[in-house]
Amino acid sequence: MGITTTQASRWIDRAIISLMAVLGIFMLLPFAWLISMSFRSTVDAYRMPPSFFPTSIEFTNYISVLKASVPFLQIYINSVEIAVIVTVGQLVTCTLAAFAFARLKFRGRDALFFVLLVGLMFPAQVTLLPIFLGFAKVGLINKPLGLALMYLTSSFGVFLMRQFMLSQPKVLEEAALMDGAGYWKIFWRISLPQLRPALSALGIITFTQTWNYYLQAKVLLGQQNAMTLPLAMDILRGYLGSGNLAVVMAAMSMSVLPVIILFLLAQKFVIEGVTMSGIRN
Amino acid sequence: MSNTEFVRSELRASQARAGYLFIVPAMLLYLTFVLAPVVVTVILSFAFYDPQFGSHWVGLDNYRRFFTDPRSVQIFWNTLRFTAMAVTGNVTVGLLLALALNRVMPAWLLYFFRLAFFLPVIIAAAFVAIVWGYFFQDSGIFNYYLSHLGLPAVHWLTSAQTAMPSIVFMDVWKNTGFFMVIFIAALQGVPKTITEAAIMDGTPSWRRFWRITLPWISPVVFFAIVYASIGALQVYESIWILTKGGPGDATRSMSINIVEEAFGSFQIGYGASVAVVMTVVILFITGVQFIVSRRLVRY
Repeated sequence: MGITTTQASRWIDRAIISLMAVLGIFMLLPFAWLISMSFRSTVDAYRMPPSFFPTSIEFTNYISVLKASVPFLQIYINSVEIAVIVTVGQLVTCTLAAFAFARLKFRGRDALFFVLLVGLMFPAQVTLLPIFLGFAKVGLINKPLGLALMYLTSSFGVFLMRQFMLSQPKVLEEAALMDGAGYWKIFWRISLPQLRPALSALGIITFTQTWNYYLQAKVLLGQQNAMTLPLAMDILRGYLGSGNLAVVMAAMSMSVLPVIILFLLAQKFVIEGVTMSGIRN
Repeated sequence: MSNTEFVRSELRASQARAGYLFIVPAMLLYLTFVLAPVVVTVILSFAFYDPQFGSHWVGLDNYRRFFTDPRSVQIFWNTLRFTAMAVTGNVTVGLLLALALNRVMPAWLLYFFRLAFFLPVIIAAAFVAIVWGYFFQDSGIFNYYLSHLGLPAVHWLTSAQTAMPSIVFMDVWKNTGFFMVIFIAALQGVPKTITEAAIMDGTPSWRRFWRITLPWISPVVFFAIVYASIGALQVYESIWILTKGGPGDATRSMSINIVEEAFGSFQIGYGASVAVVMTVVILFITGVQFIVSRRLVRY
């Protein structure tokens, strides 16, 4: 009896996992379609039945993107610039603040942390109008730097880093304090090296999030020379008409590449970061 | 004051100084780009704002317009309807996926599953919505397969009845992996001793789920529902790229409305009031979750 039930449950396990594998492949089909589409000639592109795998390998679409009237290279550089500045900025500001909130005692600490956490509930929609009006005054509209400034810190980042710090033992830090080390030295020499996985998680999450901003970019960076990749896709689609979807797909393949590579290399950190922020809430 | 006491208070003071210095950059930026703008938005929502030809206070007029104009009422309900459908879909599917995948498997298979279900989460909706837009076309891939199965074509995005469910379908494809990941982590926290005891007692599996697993992970389920709601209420680019809010106003969301009013028609005060309404809904949902999870959820 015991043996048959474990055997039966093993078969159920296998059946469910196979079913999930099929579902997993379906989840990836849109990506397979977009990448294979980008290598297809225009004539091939719309042939039915649709194919999710490359039918030909041509780079003409990629060349067309670079030659398009939309300054794709400049837009790409804007996206990289904004994502890098924001990621570095958040790693610095969020880690510093998280160290103070997790390790140091000072008056008003918990109240200030609560005020910062409230920020998790404010959507971009409720901050964007005044920021737009302010940026218009100081000439930051249509400047990629403007969008980057908006996100140099984040409540989520401070929260995530604090969670990681609280999960670390503080014996070493206390010992260093006894030895008369300053707080900066303790932060830099002892806390920070322990936080490497957390820094990777926050770095990757921030980079992808910034890479993907749409509403904010649409409002602040309307001009083609200033805009970012997510905006450019819709513009390209409009310019080229639906007849040249293959070219849009070539642009899109190039646009999603950094995020996909980051994820393939550092899947573990992303998943850990997400779990950490989700579970302990 | 004795010597040790002096040293101790000196230590406390230097710790406080360091604390403030460490949080200054984050707090200043937070004040400038979050708190102050929120306050200004609330102020703007009571005004007709026009920097060129003069602004004036309008009291509650913007809000009155939002809640009485049939068009904005529809936009409000659209947003709530999208939120209800997307949250239900994302959380339910995410939980089912997590239950299916919460078993022992080789590492490469786990890597594949995380890749397959989480990749859509990290790719911008602005990108994938263009792909889905092609799939959803009247002469697109979905209808091609439907016609081969002998089924009538569906107006995925071009009919007022189906457009919203189609967008929700894409949204679940895109976001459910996030919820799957946090549910898997939550399921792994369910103590084995309890489930094993229940198995020994011969408790059927669906009953084990309702009586043991679900109550145990309920804090995470609550968090997921709130998190999904906050995201769904802000929906913008998925809809904008697939339907531009149409057909008619059938899929127009509050975010689309804010951008159109504030930057298209320069009704900045009115746009601000829509943003405030959205934020109040978010605060309300979060508040309800906070109270409910304190009262009902036992760890």
